Amino acid sequence: MIDAGTQDSESNATPGTHHRARFDAVVRFNRQVCREHYILRLALPGGFPATRPGQFVQLGCRPPDGAIDLDRLLCREHKWESGRGVVIEQQELCGSSAFLRRPFSLAGRGDDASGTWIDVIHRVVGVGTGWLAGLKEDDKVDLIGPLGNWFSLPRGKSIGLLVGGGVGLPPMFYLAQTLAQARWAAVGFVGATTADLLAVTFVEGVVPDQDGAVAQSVVQFAQLGYGAVVTTDDGSLGLRGRITDGLVRYLQSQSPEDAQQTVVFTCGPEAMMHAVADLAGRCGVACQVCLEQAMACGMGTCQSCVVRIGHDQDDSHGVAEDGRAWRYRLACSDGPIFEAQQVVW
Amino acid sequence: MTTPAADNDTTTAASLAVDLAGLKLANPMMTASGTCGYAYEYAGLADLARLGAFVTKSITSQPRQGNEPQRIVETRAGMLNAIGLANIGLDAFMAEKLPDLRRLRDSGPRIIVNVAGHSLDEYVTTAGRIASEDIVDAIELNVSCPNVGDGLTFGTDPQLLKDLVRQVRGAMRKDCKLIVKLSPNVGDVTQTAGAAVEGGADVLSMINTYTAMAIDINKKRPRLANGTGGLSGPAIRPLAVYLVSMVYRHVAKPAGVPIVGMGGIQYWQDAVEFLLAGATGLAVGTALFVDPATPITVMDGLRGYLVKQGCSSITDVIGQLQIGGDTPRTPYP
Repeated sequence: MIDAGTQDSESNATPGTHHRARFDAVVRFNRQVCREHYILRLALPGGFPATRPGQFVQLGCRPPDGAIDLDRLLCREHKWESGRGVVIEQQELCGSSAFLRRPFSLAGRGDDASGTWIDVIHRVVGVGTGWLAGLKEDDKVDLIGPLGNWFSLPRGKSIGLLVGGGVGLPPMFYLAQTLAQARWAAVGFVGATTADLLAVTFVEGVVPDQDGAVAQSVVQFAQLGYGAVVTTDDGSLGLRGRITDGLVRYLQSQSPEDAQQTVVFTCGPEAMMHAVADLAGRCGVACQVCLEQAMACGMGTCQSCVVRIGHDQDDSHGVAEDGRAWRYRLACSDGPIFEAQQVVW
Repeated sequence: MTTPAADNDTTTAASLAVDLAGLKLANPMMTASGTCGYAYEYAGLADLARLGAFVTKSITSQPRQGNEPQRIVETRAGMLNAIGLANIGLDAFMAEKLPDLRRLRDSGPRIIVNVAGHSLDEYVTTAGRIASEDIVDAIELNVSCPNVGDGLTFGTDPQLLKDLVRQVRGAMRKDCKLIVKLSPNVGDVTQTAGAAVEGGADVLSMINTYTAMAIDINKKRPRLANGTGGLSGPAIRPLAVYLVSMVYRHVAKPAGVPIVGMGGIQYWQDAVEFLLAGATGLAVGTALFVDPATPITVMDGLRGYLVKQGCSSITDVIGQLQIGGDTPRTPYP
């Protein structure tokens, strides 16, 4: 199979690079979902191009240029406020702020009576995400998107196993919405190091199973009729262990017919995705991974976000230890979604 | 094509037109090599037709896969990169990218192709062949990419640089301009600037990135796989402005060679600093990653500044930096 997304035979309003643009988004809400994680809903008053799960947006993680009067400020006319002294609003003099945009997978999208909105989930890890955490209703956010390719729903498949670890969860929520519309069966596999880093909402009164059985415990999946398996490294909630410990139990319990129908979709830390991909491979189940690499532009220009993808033609860039030839591809524009078997980890 | 004309409209506002050693640009705004791809990567996000000139990423004789990731890291007000000159190589560039550049040129901007190499022969062959294309208005020589060992040698040794420039100039189509992009990683940039001019450079562009390092304090290792990288972005702007002013006063102005200034330009005020320091052209690089429309917003801001200053042409501002005498006192920010 070639790159996911480009071969999606069921696409109608296919997103493409020519639809992307810069948008002034408006914060609808910004709620903490667990320790360090926030769900940010951004309204797009002028609408937003067609999107698919797996695609991402580049958020400016600092006040948009229009929000401060740079012309005045850079000409060194300062505002005097009684009791506060000179108010320096010139951004480059106000301590550190994020310079580059930050990429975020879409965690959901809605087009309702009040307009178009998208969700992203962010974890506070630095100055940029720290700024995002302070956003309040009606604040402005500068956004470029939609970017990247998307998960494909191959014909002949109808069961999705959505394996999301830590900050890899958001695209799984959006994918679940799409799978529900496509009438697929699905199970969410949700993992984190510890319970209070699980960026999900739990269904009241339903405790995730300690033995890794599927339960209607996670709101983001249960509201679509999908069950979930929760794992934590420290056993503070659900099954104690790695996300693959829950996944392997499920895959081993599947009938050969169901396995044929199944696609594993995964996003999370690289080591986790590698383990998930290996497991899916051993079980003969199709798998698509959502890769990430440090990037600047998100549009194929800076050439930063290279990932090694199997390549059997003579212009390969290298040969892996297992003898597979590979070529650098860009996570931003060739991906972020790749067939797991193509990835040279 | 109403917009490019408007950018050079002398009836309602100051003229933005500049002349780079005979290469006429509708306005001074350019892309910096390596930040805008081969042409249309930012389609839909930036109106490239309004640029004065478009500069491609570096082209080498053979395709280059580039360095291992991690290739970039953000630092305070800047960015460190070690891409490693990843590019499709000369043959593929000529076959696949020239048609797009021709289309882009037809829409307004002049076309400048950046060339890098690892040997004198490679520079000469690559630049000569690209310059043979009539749509290529200028070659910009990357002699200062700090990521590939040999590149640094040409850019830091005046004698080597002079020989290189002379040979490349000799291999190029006569009316194709030669721009030499200077490295800041030298003791005295006026020495290398002077060598480039003596070798036959038509234009100097400055500056390339500063060799720098960021360290992961927990792993106790460099944060870039390459170890070192090139620092760019607003963090280097005052350094770049200083070097432009030095080269303008001591080399470029006496020799009548124009400068393309770059290094951290994000707002129009930044661009004015470069103009005053002596730059004729203005390239926007790292800021394109944040907003591909930056050169256009900078240009619109420049226009307003010129009107406010009562200038009829942007050339009235170039090199007007006053040094000595009464320094205006401003509150320490």
